Amino acid sequence: MARMKFYCDSERCIECNACVTACKNENEVPWGVNRRRVVTINDGSPGERSLSVACMHCSDAPCAAVCPVDCFYTTDDGVVLHDKDICIGCGYCFYACPFGAPQFPADGAFGSRGKMDKCTFCAGGPEIDNSAEEHRKYGSNRLAEGKLPLCAEMCATKALLAGDGDTVSDIYRERVTWRGAAGLSSGWGVAYGKDRDRGSRGLDGRAAGKD
Amino acid sequence: METNRQGHTRYPPHIGRWLLALLLLALVLPLLPYAVATMEGTSAAISGVVHNPGADYWRDVRQRDAPMAGNTQVRGVDSGILISQAGEQWRQYRTEKLVPWSVVALGGMLGIFVLYYLIRGKIRIEAGRSGQLLRRYTTPEMVVHWLLAASFVILALSGLILLYGRWALIPLLGPAGFSVTASVCKYLHNYVGLFFTVLVPIAFFLYLRDSLFNFKVDLKWFMRAGGYFGGKEPSAEKVNAGQKAWYWVAMLGGFVLIASGLTLDFPNFQQGREWLQDAHVIHTIAAVGVIAFFIVHLYLATVGVEGALEAMTTGHVDANWARQHHDLWYKELQSGRGQQTVEKPPLSGGTHAGGVASPAPDD
Repeated sequence: MARMKFYCDSERCIECNACVTACKNENEVPWGVNRRRVVTINDGSPGERSLSVACMHCSDAPCAAVCPVDCFYTTDDGVVLHDKDICIGCGYCFYACPFGAPQFPADGAFGSRGKMDKCTFCAGGPEIDNSAEEHRKYGSNRLAEGKLPLCAEMCATKALLAGDGDTVSDIYRERVTWRGAAGLSSGWGVAYGKDRDRGSRGLDGRAAGKD
Repeated sequence: METNRQGHTRYPPHIGRWLLALLLLALVLPLLPYAVATMEGTSAAISGVVHNPGADYWRDVRQRDAPMAGNTQVRGVDSGILISQAGEQWRQYRTEKLVPWSVVALGGMLGIFVLYYLIRGKIRIEAGRSGQLLRRYTTPEMVVHWLLAASFVILALSGLILLYGRWALIPLLGPAGFSVTASVCKYLHNYVGLFFTVLVPIAFFLYLRDSLFNFKVDLKWFMRAGGYFGGKEPSAEKVNAGQKAWYWVAMLGGFVLIASGLTLDFPNFQQGREWLQDAHVIHTIAAVGVIAFFIVHLYLATVGVEGALEAMTTGHVDANWARQHHDLWYKELQSGRGQQTVEKPPLSGGTHAGGVASPAPDD
């Protein structure tokens, strides 16, 4: 069974925030919540790099380990999801997650936390696939339609890859082979390949092609 | 080299000196780049050694050296932090230390008192009830005690349910059922905590005078472990050394719980994860400590010692109880120097409906 993975190629990410916008729009996430964000390190200095980060769907997920009501589960595709009917909004998953993925809409007095919301890898929740209830709580379920997460599909530079971990790592390995030692070289030809190389496997616009 | 007729090998002249020089060179040469680098003041002077930007980059991403936040368009708590390492430590604390060790601490404490009750049994009033009642607590002291007790019990139970419920209650109630329980516990804990915040400072000043240690008396009390494990019961003032210790644990622990609890209770101040993790660690250690001590208090004030509970429910204790457990206070009252006077028991009404002569209800 495929194991779904995200990978963000920092040599390509141009901090356009299209993934953030695409996610917000596709999933109609609650106010004040961003399932995905782009972080730029060394902004304005040599060595500036940007990374798009969201839930990384860990195999040994810390959020699931600390949840007092045990509301997390991992799908057959390796996507970590949670049940909002069970979640009590305690915030422990937010304390434990290294990526800052769990987000909480303010609910009630003193900014107390509502039900947790996080990236679902566009795979919805425990409800019936693409039901109205599922869409209201978790947003889109693209995986059930045979599509990949919209953030990666929208990425103009194909920096953000999403899909079967084997395919994602094949694409990335190919890129690294062209580039040479990490970060020692740069430029269009290094990042995207020479003209003659374009259109070869994994570089023709499909993040996780089946060919 | 050749061999002469006598069979001796003939070496070239001065070979020993050459070998010595070679050896010295072999020792010194590797140090040369270091010496050059030191003189130039930078290790980059060593040709051929280049920083690997990839390694630098990942060190930045993982923030190994310092908590360095990047820039992001997203407004949120800790949004600029890509990977926070502290969460993993907090996870390990919660799942591998807090849960098992608090079970050991609190379960052990309960076990000790069950054993103690089975072996020693209830500590009776040796001389029997005298029928003469002494005023021990004023109405404000009793009201504050019970408000504090109620809020503490609600907080402790809801906290323990949230801590152990995943293992203890989900098998019983099911995930949906326990979710409701846990949700109620979360709100109880968050809001009753605010009452606790008000009550602890009031209690602190209300009981402070009686709870200051008198080392001459109290050290002796501690040395004999209060006479609970045999031996004559040591002298005690109105509040014995063990009760004073409980006061200080509850009050100081209470202040720690309040400070850390308020940090956790108000995420609207946008405090970062490391604040919340640290506050949670402090909160839980203090809570387990205070609850463990609370088990001692609960036992001794109810089933452990005959005639103790009525001090807080009626405000009065039997004179013989006072003479047995708080002899110095009893003498003080008898000599009339104390601020509280010996009172005649209420003749009718109140909680002692039977009046003077009738035995106390828990006899």
